[in-house]
Amino acid sequence: MPVVKADLQACQGYANCVVGATDYFDLDDDGIVILLRTEVPESERARVTEAARSCPVSALVVED
Amino acid sequence: MTDPRGVLQDVRQGMIPAHIYNDKEIFELEKERVFGRSWLFVGHESEVPEAGDYVVRRVLEDSFIISRDEHGEIRALFNMCLHRGMQVCRTEMGNASHFRCPYHGWSYRNDGRIVGLPFHKEAYGGEEGFRKKGQTLLPAPSLGIYNGLIFVSLDPDAEPLEDFLGDFKFYMDYYTKQSGDGIELRGPQRWRVKANWKIGAENFAGDMYHTPQTHTSVVEIGLFREPKAEKRKDGTTYWAGNGGGTTYKLPEGTLEDRLRYVGYPDEMIARMKEQWSQEQLDVVGKDGFMVSAASVFPNMSFVHNWPRVEEGSDEVLPFISIRQWQPISEDETEIVSWFAVDKNAPEEFKALSYKAYLMCFGSGGMFEQDDVENWVSLTSTAGGPMARRLLLNSRMGMLENGQNVVEPLTSEQYSGPGSTRIGYSEYNQRELLLRWADHLERPMEKAAQLQVGTSPAQGGSPDGTGHSPAERPGSSAVETVSVEA
Repeated sequence: MPVVKADLQACQGYANCVVGATDYFDLDDDGIVILLRTEVPESERARVTEAARSCPVSALVVED
Repeated sequence: MTDPRGVLQDVRQGMIPAHIYNDKEIFELEKERVFGRSWLFVGHESEVPEAGDYVVRRVLEDSFIISRDEHGEIRALFNMCLHRGMQVCRTEMGNASHFRCPYHGWSYRNDGRIVGLPFHKEAYGGEEGFRKKGQTLLPAPSLGIYNGLIFVSLDPDAEPLEDFLGDFKFYMDYYTKQSGDGIELRGPQRWRVKANWKIGAENFAGDMYHTPQTHTSVVEIGLFREPKAEKRKDGTTYWAGNGGGTTYKLPEGTLEDRLRYVGYPDEMIARMKEQWSQEQLDVVGKDGFMVSAASVFPNMSFVHNWPRVEEGSDEVLPFISIRQWQPISEDETEIVSWFAVDKNAPEEFKALSYKAYLMCFGSGGMFEQDDVENWVSLTSTAGGPMARRLLLNSRMGMLENGQNVVEPLTSEQYSGPGSTRIGYSEYNQRELLLRWADHLERPMEKAAQLQVGTSPAQGGSPDGTGHSPAERPGSSAVETVSVEA
């Protein structure tokens, strides 16, 4: 199953991912991304990939 | 120069200085003192039925996001980013879990709470530099809902909405609560007319007198069942709480007969009988009156009418419209007009009722066009120097000594609250302008300010002066509110 991965060093707290998929991403108190789930069923791949790709600093990726 | 004190004295006597319908100085006062603290209609719950639904509505220049948050609560959020003041939502309606500012990318949940603040650590030094926790888009100072109608006030100490509406709620129910589920809206249509906002509000509040003249042609072509527009004078005007309106006299018959007469099908009548109080039913069934146009101070109006919708048929069908006279300037108004219909009405009724509304009102409605030409022309003439020499007589219904031409109906004659009279008069227009004068006279309290990203309540002051960093020196008259983390 595809998984979503986050580069916590790169994250700058834009929260675009939260806007895109609020059930997968959140921010912690320091404004750094939290992955609420990592496994992405094929049926949700398009939506979660779009949310990951909306990151302005490319901190997120959905991989096989 | 305008002398506001003299103007208000005249208005209270029912004598209206004509220039108030096109006067920049008066308009500036209205913006501050009428629209700066009155309850103002912004939308209906049915426009945002699902979590995340929103519409963007204005209170003069101020843009508000009216959203239903993830918990189903209605919010009215000032549409200005806490960073540089950019509008965070730039579309008029939609569904969104978050709003993201296009300028620097700050983002907010649909309940207003800030989420994304890019480079918070690097740019601000994190929470030490900018307190992000607990910050939200500025909510409207007061928010109230009645029958799903959402109102905001810029006054944080506004009296509760239902207290403000008072006995006018009795009449609002005819338009907005014909069954337990209330209304749904279509629209709004928005268009601008070069007319002062007060004219429409006054006209809808009580001007039955213009119908036979202004709308002659609409009656002549047979849009209404009654052949004569003079029938208007058999109806009443009523004023209750902070609103008032007009009614038509219905022919003899039972409650059911009379509701059928204006075109309601039996299944809707059955729900009205369940929903309305005995007094509300008696105004129709016993007293024989049906609500038509109405206004709530300062700039919201209702219409209820029942034209013929099929050529060659005697059948009529009722429609309801809700509208707002949104001031743009002293000589321009944006009319925001919704079609309203009972949620439980049959689909066929809804479709025909919408057709009836579009024929009569809305941007292409026949009544609308008749009315607006008068109001535009009046506004234009009111802007010149001669208008300053004219005190218009708005005392219809009152003798020079103050006695009434027609006395109010007694409680035996009429079952509704407020003061109700049969025939033409300008009591309601005077009631609206009395409230207008009271507001213009009363200076504004200074509004509280929010200092974004700071925490004045958090302990001592680093400079040792006793002032926290959020407190602006020399601004002691301004109450500063901080948002707690």
